[in-house]
Formats: sequence, structure tokens, C-alpha cells
Amino acid sequence: MNASAPAIEVEDVVTRFGEHRVHDGVSFAVRRGTLTAIIGASGTGKTVLLREIVGLQAPTAGRVRVLGTDMWAAPEAEVQAVKRRFGMMFQDGALFSSLTVAENVAVPLKEHGGLPAELLAPLVQLRLAQAGLEADAGAKMPSQLSGGMRKRAAIARALALEPEVLFLDEPTSGLDPTTARGFDRLVRDLVDQLGIAVLLVTHDLDTVLTVVDRLIVLADGRVLADAPPAEVVALDHPWIRAYFSVRTMLSQG
Amino acid sequence: MLHLHGAWRLAALPALWPRLRALPLAPGIAVDGSALAELDSAAALALLWALQQAGADPERVDWRGFDGAPARVLLDTARRQSHRVPQLALPPRPALPALGKEVLSLGHLLRGHLAFFGQTCAAFGALLLRPRLLRVKELFAQIQHCLVEAIPVVALVTLLIGVTIAYLLGLQAEKYGANIFVVDGVGIGMTREFAPIIVAVIVAGRSGAAFTAQLGAMRLTEEIDAIRTLGLSPAQVLVVPRVLALVLALPLLVFVGDVVGILGAMLVADPMLGITPATFLERLRGALSLDHVWVGLGKAPVFALAIALIGCRMGMTVGRDTRAVGLATTSTVVQSIVAVILLDAAFAVLFQHLGI
Repeated sequence: MNASAPAIEVEDVVTRFGEHRVHDGVSFAVRRGTLTAIIGASGTGKTVLLREIVGLQAPTAGRVRVLGTDMWAAPEAEVQAVKRRFGMMFQDGALFSSLTVAENVAVPLKEHGGLPAELLAPLVQLRLAQAGLEADAGAKMPSQLSGGMRKRAAIARALALEPEVLFLDEPTSGLDPTTARGFDRLVRDLVDQLGIAVLLVTHDLDTVLTVVDRLIVLADGRVLADAPPAEVVALDHPWIRAYFSVRTMLSQG
Repeated sequence: MLHLHGAWRLAALPALWPRLRALPLAPGIAVDGSALAELDSAAALALLWALQQAGADPERVDWRGFDGAPARVLLDTARRQSHRVPQLALPPRPALPALGKEVLSLGHLLRGHLAFFGQTCAAFGALLLRPRLLRVKELFAQIQHCLVEAIPVVALVTLLIGVTIAYLLGLQAEKYGANIFVVDGVGIGMTREFAPIIVAVIVAGRSGAAFTAQLGAMRLTEEIDAIRTLGLSPAQVLVVPRVLALVLALPLLVFVGDVVGILGAMLVADPMLGITPATFLERLRGALSLDHVWVGLGKAPVFALAIALIGCRMGMTVGRDTRAVGLATTSTVVQSIVAVILLDAAFAVLFQHLGI
């Protein structure tokens, strides 16, 4: 497989819910080893787009390719195989509530890895550490975790199979600013050190301005901008101006 | 000297690991990574772990030819690795302490039920003083669910019970030529015991479980907290309509059960025992004293109260995760059925003493 091919390709995706058109021809590509964020007003279908990319919800028209596999046209076995090569973190973590954190992380390893049993526990520990959790957290039940820890545990599970692409749905929502910034650094580190491509959906201005390589702005069912954050900030569009003006107001006091 | 070749990835570990463990990895061994095409963190961990297991401290290993991405991954993995690995399987609890814990938690549960009963009584007291507190719409929605929608299943089950009892009694009675006494047996048995118990069990599985699941899900999504912060009482808004609906619904369902059960007996009595419907009804009028019917119907509201209270309490106090809702729902059904049978036994003794 071509290493320089994009990790994610979205081509002319159209999504309709009844009469309501959410996406009206959305196209973009995400290169490997980059951190890309999708922003847009509420209701512009950011999360829906993410669900279409990972194969949870079928687009009305258009094509989605992840690591070269067409998620909606390829044979079932090929889609299943590619699903092992990416990880997804859901907004609320979506940890399995009947399993401990360590068991949650071990689920994908046991299901797909075929790994030697004696490596399982050390590998779970490594994943927890990569997500910034202590080994002690592994023994806890998801209901005993704070919001930030739940998100970290979810990342640890998403990282379990050494994914090439990681999808994050609002990774910093519901976290306090300090924890949120720590989470941003964590995601940046994952991109820099493990070389994964990360695509995240966010409302968090700080994430967008500090750690993201590329910004995709959705508006009116289309891609309004697809550029590094510095260039997007300079664009003259009412929504973009309004979005970033919050920051300008703050910095001007 | 250990030479590493090719792509060391998680997917290759099942094949790599046995070979790695079979190697003699002496302390101070040299590891050459110059021919490595790829190294991911899982494979790096496997390498470090194998070295440690063999007694070769990675700090003292002579690492050669590692550069670029593999070197970074190796360093990063070594930095994050720890010997304090999490336990993947919880140790089984010793039997005796586990038993004690269960008994204590049972006592705790019963105390909680009693407290909830008290709170619900207080809510009903408040309702008597201010009848406008009653959520009429919610009450009718619950009656629709508990009573109207339950009639088909109650009718079907009690019809079959009536048929079965008449058939089995008939087999015995026929031997003594005492066919007609089947009417006595079915009439008294159905109205006094079978219909109330069977219907209560059905309702425990339908409505009791539904109460727990609904209220548990509402607690999960913080709807109950929202009700509280809006200055409303969850007891008035959620519990009272459900309890009241079930207490009204169960006697009526038991009556349906009485009628349909006897009807079922009548259906088999004609072809099997030669008792025509007219004879059946004639005999029933003489044999079935209304006392039996009242006893059966009188027990129903008490059963309903127990089922509704258990169902609501389990829902209102469920833990805040999805698994807890499922466990609480199961527990509601079991507790309700046990409560109904215990209450029925108590009633049997009580009515015996009262001579009814």
C-alpha cells in the first residue's frame, strides 16, 4: 500500500435526513501523521460526518475511504480488517460499564490481536500510560472515573491495536481547561511520537489554535475552508469571524 | 548479538513472541536495529519485556543501529513501561465473607424499601391535603400501560390456567364420579388463589420491570435531578402516579383473570366431563361464595403496592451506569415475585384465623 496516500479521503459526501440536507457535497483528505480538526456551528453535521467515515452511518451519496478502503463499497471482510487499523473515541467515552478500565482496554487486544497471554497485561499498562493513566486506574470501574479519566481510558482503548488513524469526537468537551490542555498535548504527542493521523471534531478554540495542523470548517453543508489554522483565522466569512472573535475579545481584554 | 529484521508490528507479535522467548538473552547482550523496517510500541514493549523476563536489564543492553522512528518509539515505550501491570481478572471472593456481605446488603435493601414506603406514604398524605398535586395525565398514561395493555396477556395466561386446572381436576374427579365438583374446585381455586398470584407475577414482569427501567434510565440521563432542581418532587411526579395506577389496575386485572379462567374451565368441562355450560353456571352459583372472590380481589391491591414500590425504589436508587439498570430491573422482578408469594402466604394464615 502506498505510504504517501492520504489516510482519510472524503469525496462529495451528501447526507439527507428527510428533506433536511446536512452535507451537500463535502470533500477533503487527511494526510498521515497530521492532526486535523473539523469545526463548524452546531447542527452542521460534524459528528454525523465522523460516523460516516468510521462506518457507523451510511451517507446518502458520496465516497469515504479510510486507509484506501471504501467504507461503504468494499466487501465486509475488508471493512472489518480496516476497522482494526483505526481507533475511535466517542464523546462520552463509551466504555463498557460492566468491565474494569483494564478489561476495557484488553477487549480489542483479546478479540483481534491473537496476542500471547503473558504480553496482555504489560500491553494494557503501556496503553494506559500512553493515554496518561496510572496502572492503578486499570482496576477501577468506568462509573468510578472522573470525566477526564474516562476520556483517557477511552483513548487507551482506541489505541489498543496500534491504530494508524484515530478519530476523536469532541475530546475536550466537559473537561476543565487544565485537563483539556493536558489532553491536547497528549493528542499532539500521539501524532508526533506514534505518527498516527488524528481527525477530531471539536468546539474548543484552544485546541484549534494550539495543537491542530489543519482545520476543516463545515458550513451550509460544504467545506468552507481547509487550511492551517493561521490561514483560516484570516478568512473573511461571518461565521469564522464570529467564531474567532471570542478569542480576539478575550486577548484585548 | 540480536539482529532485528523487517517490520516489528503488533500484528506480527503472535509469531514473533515465541521465537523471542526461545532465544538466550543474556545480560549485556547487544541488540542491532539497523535492519528494522518498522517498530511499533507494542513490539517494542514485547522486546523490552522479553529482555527483562530473561534477566537482561534494558538499561545495560548494548543498543546498536537504532535511529529515526524506531529509536523514538523504543525510548518512548521504555519511559512509559512499568512493572506495575494492572490485573485483568479480579481474584474470586472467598465464599464466607461474600455470603456475609450479601446478607448485610439484603438487610440494607429491606430497610431502604421501608424508608421508601414511608416517603411514598408521605407523598400520598401531601396529595390528600392538596389534590391538585396529582399528575392526572401521567396517571392515565400509566393506567393505559399497566391495565389496558396488560389485558390480552392476562386473559391468555389465565384462560390456559383455567383449562389446565379443570383438565387435571377432571381426571381425578372422574374416577369417583364426582365430575361436578370440578366446578367447585376451579371456582374457588381460580378466584381465591390462582388468578391473584398469576396476574401479580405477570404484572411484576411487565410493569414492575418497566418502572425500574424507566426510572433508572431517567436517573442515568439526570432527568430525575432536573425534576428536583425545578422544585418538583420526584415522588409526586413519578412515584405516586405509578403506584396509584398499579393499585387500581391489579384488582381489575384479577377480575379479568377470574372470569377468563372460569371460562377456560367451562370450555373443557363440556366435552371432557359432560358438564354443559348451563349446569356449570348453575353449580358455580351455588358453590362459589362471594367471599372467595372478595378475598382474591382484596389481596390484589396489596400485591400491587409491593410491586410498584419495589419497582420504583429500584429505579430511583439505581447506580449511574448502564449495567446497573439491567441488574436493578432483574432484581425488581425477582423481589416482586418473592414479595407477592410471601404476602400471599401471610394472607392465607390471616384469613384462616379470621375464618374467611
